[in-house]
Amino acid sequence: MKSPRDVVIVEGVRTPFAKSGTKLKKVHPAELGQVALRELIAKTNLDVNLIDEVIIGNTGNPVDAVNIGRVVALNAGIPQKTSAYTVHRNCASALESISNGYEKIRSGTMDVVVAGGTENMSQMPTLLPQKIQDIFDKLFMAKSPSQALPLAGKLLGAELKQIKALLTGNMKDEYFPVISVMQGLTDPFAGINMGQTAEILAKEFGISRVMQDEFALRSHNLAVKATKEGRMKAEIVPFPLPPDYKEILTEDIGPRDGQTMEALAKLKPFFDRQTGSITVGNACPLTDGAAMVLLMSREKAEALGYKPYARIRSYGFAGLEPERMGLGPVYATPVALKRAGLNFSDFGLIELNEAFAAQVLACAKAFESDEFAKTKLGLGGKVGAVDLEKLNVNGGAIALGHPVGATGTRLVITLMKEMQRRQVQFGLATLCIGGGQGGAMILETEA
Amino acid sequence: MSTSHLESIKIIPKQEIAIVEIDMVGEKVNKLSTPMMARLKDVLQELTKSSYKAVIFTSKKAKIFIAGADIEEIKNLNNQEQVLKAVSQGQEIMNMLEDLPMPTIASVHGACAGGGCEFILACDYRIGSEDPSTRIGLPETQLGILPGFGGCVRLPRIVGLQASLDVILAGKLLPGKKAYKIGLLDKLVHPAILQEETLKWAQKLVTDKVGKRRKHFKSSGLINGFLEGPLGRGVVFSQAKKGVLKLTGGHYPAPLKALSVVCATIGMSDRDRAMKIEREGFAEVAVTEVSKNLIHVYYLTEMVKKQNATAAKAKEVKALGILGAGTMGGGIAYVAADKGIQVRMKDLNYEALGKGLKHASDLWKKLLKRKSIDRYQFRQKMNSVSIGVDYSDFKRLDVVIEAIVEDMKIKQRVIGETAAQMRPDAILVTNTSSLSVTEMSQGHPHPEFFAGMHFFNPVHKMPLVEVIRGAKTSDQTISTIFELTKKMGKMPVVVKDGPGFLVNRLLLPYMAEAAFMFQEGMSVGQVDVAYVKEFGMPMGPFALMDEVGLDVCVKVLRIFMKAFGDRVSLAPCMEVLEKSTRLGKKNGQGFYKYSSDGQRGEVDETIYSALGLGQPTNPHTSKECIERGVFAMINECSRALIEDRIVETPHEVDLAMIMGTGFPPFRGGLLRYADSVGSKYVAEQLETYASQRTAPRLKPSKVLSEMASVKAKFYK
Repeated sequence: MKSPRDVVIVEGVRTPFAKSGTKLKKVHPAELGQVALRELIAKTNLDVNLIDEVIIGNTGNPVDAVNIGRVVALNAGIPQKTSAYTVHRNCASALESISNGYEKIRSGTMDVVVAGGTENMSQMPTLLPQKIQDIFDKLFMAKSPSQALPLAGKLLGAELKQIKALLTGNMKDEYFPVISVMQGLTDPFAGINMGQTAEILAKEFGISRVMQDEFALRSHNLAVKATKEGRMKAEIVPFPLPPDYKEILTEDIGPRDGQTMEALAKLKPFFDRQTGSITVGNACPLTDGAAMVLLMSREKAEALGYKPYARIRSYGFAGLEPERMGLGPVYATPVALKRAGLNFSDFGLIELNEAFAAQVLACAKAFESDEFAKTKLGLGGKVGAVDLEKLNVNGGAIALGHPVGATGTRLVITLMKEMQRRQVQFGLATLCIGGGQGGAMILETEA
Repeated sequence: MSTSHLESIKIIPKQEIAIVEIDMVGEKVNKLSTPMMARLKDVLQELTKSSYKAVIFTSKKAKIFIAGADIEEIKNLNNQEQVLKAVSQGQEIMNMLEDLPMPTIASVHGACAGGGCEFILACDYRIGSEDPSTRIGLPETQLGILPGFGGCVRLPRIVGLQASLDVILAGKLLPGKKAYKIGLLDKLVHPAILQEETLKWAQKLVTDKVGKRRKHFKSSGLINGFLEGPLGRGVVFSQAKKGVLKLTGGHYPAPLKALSVVCATIGMSDRDRAMKIEREGFAEVAVTEVSKNLIHVYYLTEMVKKQNATAAKAKEVKALGILGAGTMGGGIAYVAADKGIQVRMKDLNYEALGKGLKHASDLWKKLLKRKSIDRYQFRQKMNSVSIGVDYSDFKRLDVVIEAIVEDMKIKQRVIGETAAQMRPDAILVTNTSSLSVTEMSQGHPHPEFFAGMHFFNPVHKMPLVEVIRGAKTSDQTISTIFELTKKMGKMPVVVKDGPGFLVNRLLLPYMAEAAFMFQEGMSVGQVDVAYVKEFGMPMGPFALMDEVGLDVCVKVLRIFMKAFGDRVSLAPCMEVLEKSTRLGKKNGQGFYKYSSDGQRGEVDETIYSALGLGQPTNPHTSKECIERGVFAMINECSRALIEDRIVETPHEVDLAMIMGTGFPPFRGGLLRYADSVGSKYVAEQLETYASQRTAPRLKPSKVLSEMASVKAKFYK
């Protein structure tokens, strides 16, 4: 049943996603967001004065743009009067931004919201270790050169110790710099790395190395196919590369044409050298990119003459053990399904974020397990069977990458555009969230 | 004196402090006109006799402190005696101000130029606001005069020799921050607290019993000490003189005179003597033709700033589209985005768009390097240019400028295609230098929303834009484009559609004539040097042809031959040129040699044989060379202005020629120059050259002959 307060998605675009350390590495995340937002407006020819709010997901929280949502909005030419803010829910930050917008529109508070996310994982800073920070703190307080001089000597000694730690590669050394992207991917509650949480799932759900590599290969093959067949063009906007603009990036840097099982098999387990199965080949890479969607109330979209892609039926977030965070989708999806009054079998398409191949395959098993549903989810029976034909049909994060603060919106965009192509009525976008949560959003195609 | 001037300057007592408010009645700005000066004198006399312990001078105008002297009065000064009298009265009043028994503070917010600046220099202390409207300086040399109310004498004593020369010789106004940095302002505060801070300062002067400030400052610091010593002074002056000569080519006497006044008066302890030297210098330059011409040019530019193109109200332009990201497109994107307009560039491929972005980005990087903008402004400007290969965003655009290939068929097709993607009320403009706007408008479904804009290359440097009215272009479209041009920081001149519009129509006979002189044995160097050194053009006709592109020159000449028949003809050497590979600066082969980065070098001596001629014999005088070229322009202009009404007034012709071709401003423009030599002389000389050189193309036009017969002028 349609209602004027239904929340519809008018359009969605994203920058190309580029593996960290490649072509977008020097681009500030506010600039990534700026281009995506500006092109969203260009594509929809929207009068920017109509935008009630801009909500942007981001996890890196760049020190020179702490409320990066506002910086993105102003950079993109959104009027100064328009409010803008940043949301952070780790891997689901850009799903959180959409759900924020959904609530505000649904309640009648607002009519037009831009939601999205931006992340540049190349630019997450390397910080001073506490030992050196302490010396700096004292140096800043020094009132005279005579006070500063001994501290400078101390600093020099500490720097030498740091160089030693770097040369020996001893990351546990208290002088070793703090690499924030690694800290960010370490669970602060359980004290283990995200890769290690996936290792737990691989072992507990019996996901073999070969199964993971095959799934990774599938992701690359599907992403390459989608790119070659032009489907990615529908969601990617060109990104002019500073400083010389000799190149305008129009495709993702991630999907590998000609990836093979042999090549994948050669890679060593990264997180558990002894008994592990998770490699850099069957996990998603660190990535830079941004994605934006334009949300409206149905009545506003109709008044402005837009033909939206989809309507947001529901969303849901749920928590679980941080060390098994990869199963988050299995916990969150039933919440969203219940709110929508739908069944898992209603989904014609599913976008389930590929943090790790092992984690996706473990989710698939858990979705199909009666026992898991009963013991962990408190449901009477399994959530539903995952049909691979409907899952991540244009590839996923293993190939495309996972710019943490932007992925949630990317999943929604890819899903709604494919739903329209296939004339599918219901679709699911879901992801696992570092720290032990899952997020899910259900879309219904606008007929 | 009318009573209203009593209201123009008022003394508001604040206990022991007098606040003098300047608010010229019936004017938007404060200026030091004769009645204002008389009122000021009265006020100063009153203050001299008063018991106030301090005086504050402030303006009640929103963005103006004192804009300067009354230029209209300067314009009308015609003999030295008259000038000396007027200036010495002004100097006397500034001296009275300086000699007030109590300390004085100027509280400056808004423009403070010329006489206004000299006014604050005669105060003891100067406090300014940080507002962007606060701009202080001595622009007199721009008008061919020099600071005559003591500015040349007092400024060096306050900011030092080097800094004062920078201010006086360049004639540019300084933003508050810069004025503070060089010591022209003693304090700089936020505009909201300017009044309060000034009053506090005055009160402190009173309570601390601080007296007058000594004017004979010792120079501060070692370097300044050296620069102002007898040895350093000589070095500074000779350097400054070299700089001035290099910039002015010796055509502008005012900066040199200002320099010599500063030179003669620096360190002089006898104020009266120094003032005498200054006013004599002023009187010498104020009556010159150059000064009158520069004032004329000043009025031309002011006219455009205040003028509306038509009675129809211009529509606001927030978002601008540009089709084609080439040199012109990229340049237009730069000037628009630089002034805060959102720009969407569209081209057929990303490679072209990347080049357009780089073009704009490189120009902003230069500003960044010079610290004219900071990195935040750089990003904002860069961000406001977005790109696309499709028509997304076009429904949001208020105006689109098409800057694609100069081909009527292609342009018409693209115009139709683009118009279909735009809002029905949005305006589409073609940037063209040679095609008919009226004919092109047939490609547009609503030609009233279609017009032309002729930008000059390089766009970021050339101030002129010809706004071209097609046969069906509406008034509102013209008004909108006129205002848009101004918003982009350019000078618009509205022209009627016609071959070459105005500027190129006049330039072409000039370049064609140079080719004939070349054919007759004149050397490239001889002709170009005559135009630059003797006449004052920024470059000679051969260098200009190289800039424009030799292929383009010939192409356009052929278009003109078709349009104008006999009076345009092609020198035989141009026909040889047409078949050669020489394209001018763009391929590094022309009348001149070019370095790999496009810098013009020596004359390419192979050009003579390449065009089938022997070594030059230089048969003509430089007078003939200059007259044939310039008079050919005047001749063509008589037809364009009077017969074809391409523009309405001689003012527009002069503005366009100065802004579009660099026609020497000290000559006041092409037609002001024509009037100064007289239509009779021009027509006679053209007649002479036409018969002597068997060049019927040079025969004076019917209208010019008619003018000559009654010695008429272009300016009525």
